[in-house]
Amino acid sequence: MRWLERELEERRLNRWDFVIWPIGIAVAVLWALPFVWMVSTSFKFPADVMTQDIEWLPSRVTLDNYIKVFEYPVIRWGINSLIQAAAATFLCVLFGAMAGYALARMNFPGRNLLFAVFLASLMIPVEVSVIPLLLAFVKVGWASSYQALILPAIGNVFSVYIFRQFFLNFPSELEDAAKMDGAGPFNLFFRIALPLARAPAIAASVIIFTLNWNSFLWPLLVTFDESMKTLPVGVAAFTPVVGTRTQIEGYSVAMAAVTILSIPSLMLFCFLQRYFIQGISQGSIKQ
Amino acid sequence: MSVAAHSVERARPEITGEIDKAGYVLVAFFAIPFFLFNILPVLFGFYVAFTRWSIVGAPKWEGLNNFTRAFNDHWVAVAFKNILFYGVIIVPSVTVLGLVFALFVNKRYPLSGLARTLFFAPTVVSATVIGLVWVWLLDTQFGLVNHYLSFFGIDDVPWLTSTRWSLVGVSIASIWWDLGLAFVLFLAALQDIPGEINDAAIVDGANRWQRFRYVILPHLRPVISMVVTLQLISTLRIFSQVYVMTNGGPAGSSSSPIHYIYSIAIVRNLFGYASAIAILLFALILAVTFAQRFLLKERA
Repeated sequence: MRWLERELEERRLNRWDFVIWPIGIAVAVLWALPFVWMVSTSFKFPADVMTQDIEWLPSRVTLDNYIKVFEYPVIRWGINSLIQAAAATFLCVLFGAMAGYALARMNFPGRNLLFAVFLASLMIPVEVSVIPLLLAFVKVGWASSYQALILPAIGNVFSVYIFRQFFLNFPSELEDAAKMDGAGPFNLFFRIALPLARAPAIAASVIIFTLNWNSFLWPLLVTFDESMKTLPVGVAAFTPVVGTRTQIEGYSVAMAAVTILSIPSLMLFCFLQRYFIQGISQGSIKQ
Repeated sequence: MSVAAHSVERARPEITGEIDKAGYVLVAFFAIPFFLFNILPVLFGFYVAFTRWSIVGAPKWEGLNNFTRAFNDHWVAVAFKNILFYGVIIVPSVTVLGLVFALFVNKRYPLSGLARTLFFAPTVVSATVIGLVWVWLLDTQFGLVNHYLSFFGIDDVPWLTSTRWSLVGVSIASIWWDLGLAFVLFLAALQDIPGEINDAAIVDGANRWQRFRYVILPHLRPVISMVVTLQLISTLRIFSQVYVMTNGGPAGSSSSPIHYIYSIAIVRNLFGYASAIAILLFALILAVTFAQRFLLKERA
């Protein structure tokens, strides 16, 4: 442990840190154990799951649980989730960038009022609009459709907010030069401003994609057909709590299903951590 | 909240000179779906709340019936009482643990980058993952939690299958899920504190506790207030974990207002009544938001 002592020394740590450090790291590891247990269970034989013996590493490994999961329409659910999250993210980020740019850099009456309305809407919980929205979609005949999954997700104000902040601090020299060359407002936005807004675009995309990929209440309400369910809604039926809902399979299959479901979000998070944290600290956005 | 506070500082000067009509076009692409799918339904919901409406057929005006019914509904009372308990368990846990974890990571110990990843990771996965993983961990007979508790001589706790414990069981999963957001917000605020202030305090001979109490804590006050409000609101809206883990049971002991709204609308097809309860919940959320703003202003 000499390296550790040296490192602690360099970081101006004192003897209290020698107590705090191991406890903190232990808690951090403890925090991740549910994921480890999830993956570990997903490779176990059902007989090894419901037992009093705790095996952190399965003594016998099987892929049967994953094969069982695919007997349900998980591929279809995954495609639905992907279409929903990708389309909603693309539209929300593009339209958000357009609106954010206009609100930050263009002169028109009603601009500040519009932004105030956008921000005020953050205080309205989505749950209030969810039942009337469902009624409306059913009446129009759009229940269990991609329109129903995608359209309500476009109006995420976070996207407008993050782009407006970015464009407020945007140097105007480039714009002025383009204006001299006779560029119109749309050219100005699409050719000059948007290509330079990569950082906020990535931060917004990462956050909005994850929100959509994980969204639960609205897809649960609006998808009546098995084939239009999204992955989180479909997989939720694997809950093996006896007496609350039908028990489909055992825990091992359920853990295989949630392992599949959590891989995209966890991978995205590991690779793009910086943007997640940047996005979160730009404003509070958990829907 | 923080979003609003930020933007007020940076509000742009009044409009002068030429008007850009193109601005309206650029905003319209966002504003039209926003009003159609996010704002209009809220207004529509206020109308629906005064009607009797199932998915087939036409709405029938009912006046205040749905609201009087809600006030006399035993299960509405249970659901609202339950979120009080959820709030009492989840809000302080998330705030305190989030702050403690952020303080730890902020010190830049060896491996603190890894710790940061681990603390935040549960927040990025879906409610289905959280719910199912914790149903398994909290399984009465075979779950990991009861297995390790038995080392301390604690008998199997029926976390999710008894009326006594179901709220606690769901809360544990919620804390694990929600902590990441509070953690990151605290971490961002801690990193905003200029290092010189802390150094000066060390030179003045302040110990760890004094530095926390007199330097760090005053800096964090706005963030603490924000985290508490955000967590309070998200607890008022608790649904997916309840749905996945217990479906409100046993005997309604873990239900929440949104869960009740869901079952009224979907299972019993009473859309007007469901909307009325949603409006009551909305009123409560607005009250919390304004209370927080008011308290913040008082301090400042």
